[in-house]
Amino acid sequence: MLNKLYGDIRRNAFAYRMLIPYVAFLALLVLYPIITNFVISLQVDGNWSLQNYKHVFQEPVFAKVSFNTVIWTVGSVVLQLLVGFLLALLLNQEFKGRAFFRSIILVLPWATPDIVVGVAWQWMYNDMYGVLNDILFRLGIIDYYLPWLADQNLARLAVIIANTWKGFALSAMFYLAALQTVPHELYEASEVDGANVWQKFRNVTWPILQPFVVTTTMLTTIWTINYFPLIFTMTGGGPANATDTFVTYAYRTAFRFLDFNRSAAMSSFTFVLVFLISLLYLRVLSKKEAERQ
Amino acid sequence: MRKYAVLVALLLAVLVSGSAFAQDKLTVWVGGHVVEQEQTWAEIIQSFEEATGIEVEYRLIGFDVYYDTLVTAFSAGQGPDMTFADLGGWVPTFAAQGWIEPLEDRLAASDITEQIWPNLWPTVTYNGVRYGLPWYTDCRVLMYNKIMFEEAGLDPDKPPVTWDELLEYAKILTDPRQMKYGYGVSGKRSEVATLGYMMFLFGAGGELLTEDYSKAAFNTPEGLAALKFYTELFTVHKVSPPATPSYGEDDFRSMMAQNRVAMAISGPWAFPLIEMANPAIKGNYAVALHPYSAEPASVLGGWASVISSTSKMKDEAWQFIEYITSYDVWRMWIARHGGPMPTRMDVAFDAPEFDDPRWEVILEVFPYAKVRPPIPEWPEVSDRIQNMIQVVITGQATAEEAIATAEQEINAILGN
Repeated sequence: MLNKLYGDIRRNAFAYRMLIPYVAFLALLVLYPIITNFVISLQVDGNWSLQNYKHVFQEPVFAKVSFNTVIWTVGSVVLQLLVGFLLALLLNQEFKGRAFFRSIILVLPWATPDIVVGVAWQWMYNDMYGVLNDILFRLGIIDYYLPWLADQNLARLAVIIANTWKGFALSAMFYLAALQTVPHELYEASEVDGANVWQKFRNVTWPILQPFVVTTTMLTTIWTINYFPLIFTMTGGGPANATDTFVTYAYRTAFRFLDFNRSAAMSSFTFVLVFLISLLYLRVLSKKEAERQ
Repeated sequence: MRKYAVLVALLLAVLVSGSAFAQDKLTVWVGGHVVEQEQTWAEIIQSFEEATGIEVEYRLIGFDVYYDTLVTAFSAGQGPDMTFADLGGWVPTFAAQGWIEPLEDRLAASDITEQIWPNLWPTVTYNGVRYGLPWYTDCRVLMYNKIMFEEAGLDPDKPPVTWDELLEYAKILTDPRQMKYGYGVSGKRSEVATLGYMMFLFGAGGELLTEDYSKAAFNTPEGLAALKFYTELFTVHKVSPPATPSYGEDDFRSMMAQNRVAMAISGPWAFPLIEMANPAIKGNYAVALHPYSAEPASVLGGWASVISSTSKMKDEAWQFIEYITSYDVWRMWIARHGGPMPTRMDVAFDAPEFDDPRWEVILEVFPYAKVRPPIPEWPEVSDRIQNMIQVVITGQATAEEAIATAEQEINAILGN
């Protein structure tokens, strides 16, 4: 097997040489911190021990943080999927000014820096001066201003909404690109057969788009679990840990309490989790590829 | 071969240009509330440079991110030569990590040392050694908006003295439809929530930790009464704005400047800040001893100058520290800004600006002010107190449950 590997390298020597700088860069910037972090997580006062992990999993707040992470991820991904997909369908239609709308809708939220998004939304959710409360109040939807970022459930909803606003553009862009690979002839053919909008979607659009949706959802999931800046600037993980996810909690443990070992345990755990999800995604993707062939 | 030579040359150029910036200037990071006085800082730095010939490179860092910025820098060994550490426990925390320089010898040789208020030294001491020179200090008091008092029919020269009066006045001053609230309860997850609770705890005659800082001592009838009163101001009586779990002292001060919140805990650093927020408030706000139920109480705060242990310019850093803590610079600062409270007793007694009624209150209350436990575990302990307050004000637990849990957690942190 090693012979095969050597042969392969020799034949593609040029390609491998081109990869070396990138791999070296990756190794330094990514592998080194990950490994060091893992090593720190296994140390307590310089001795090897699994104490940190035990501590992390046994802490009463761990259950809450896990729950929050799940809600945050599922909520954000589902909403970004729906909004992104809907907008992609809309932007795929022919209408005047389409290019303009595409550039505004797809680029602006994504291009806004995370911190700016966090602070802006924080002010919009403000309970005394916030724009959101004002609009909802005037529309008669609420009777009094809601303390968005101060109530546990409202805060969770608030950060998910803000994250959807920020992140849907990426999903929309992927889906739009995917939609454009659907051959027009298929639509025309289905129209000839008398298909209505829903049937066209189910029989032409969806089968072609499905792998794209799977890919994008997996990517969005991975990115959302890791997403730190938005929650941190909007709520800091509060109120009372309601919006704390693995990453914000790990951050606080390291930077507020200076407990680097325990924080390393938390973040190594998150890394393993995300890694497993990525493996799952690769497995599903290759199965779909095999099916298609 | 030539390609490698070019690469090596480029790398060397990058390294050299990078390090050239680091060497000659004294790096100073200023944080805390005084960063708002940018102009004054620029002038002080400039006059120091002119007087000593030492070039200074300084940064003004906002309070919210100051701690994180310092921790990140110190952990990477890239701390500033000189910076400020909050008297609320940062000095022991940094000293325990080995990030700052012990200053005993320098303090012994300086004539500033004997001028510092004696009750400040415990806040900069770790393992019996002093690691900082207190620069400014403060104590917390009740700040209130006289205009709102008058509008509600209350006498602006008679602030509440007891907890009952506080509640009564707050209820009179609260009108949710006009978005006016009587008392701001700091509920956000930050040190100010702990300080708020401590004001009520000490006012009830309670203690936070045992004298040797080894065990929690607040799960007592006094501590519970303080927690209940503090949180019920929001949960039951609703005299604090609806988003209280995300608000702190600084937010209430801004609201007070706009006549939205009538009373809140604050301190002398706030005098220039509230006037900056709304110049019309000048002369229309006042301070008083915070209402108490058993004994007058306050909490000490402030900032100390510290030197990084990895600094290559420690002597110059010390020179800078002595300069900003000197009598003349302090007199100039007070004359210009009217605050904050210097750690030098001579300036505090000499400066005519302190003949103001607000300052009389501050200087009267200062002897009652207690320190926060100067232990390296303080950030974690404080976090548990903040959590205790948050779970009660968000309705997740009763005060009894929360205080018992917090006691357990803090004892675990302190190693019991």
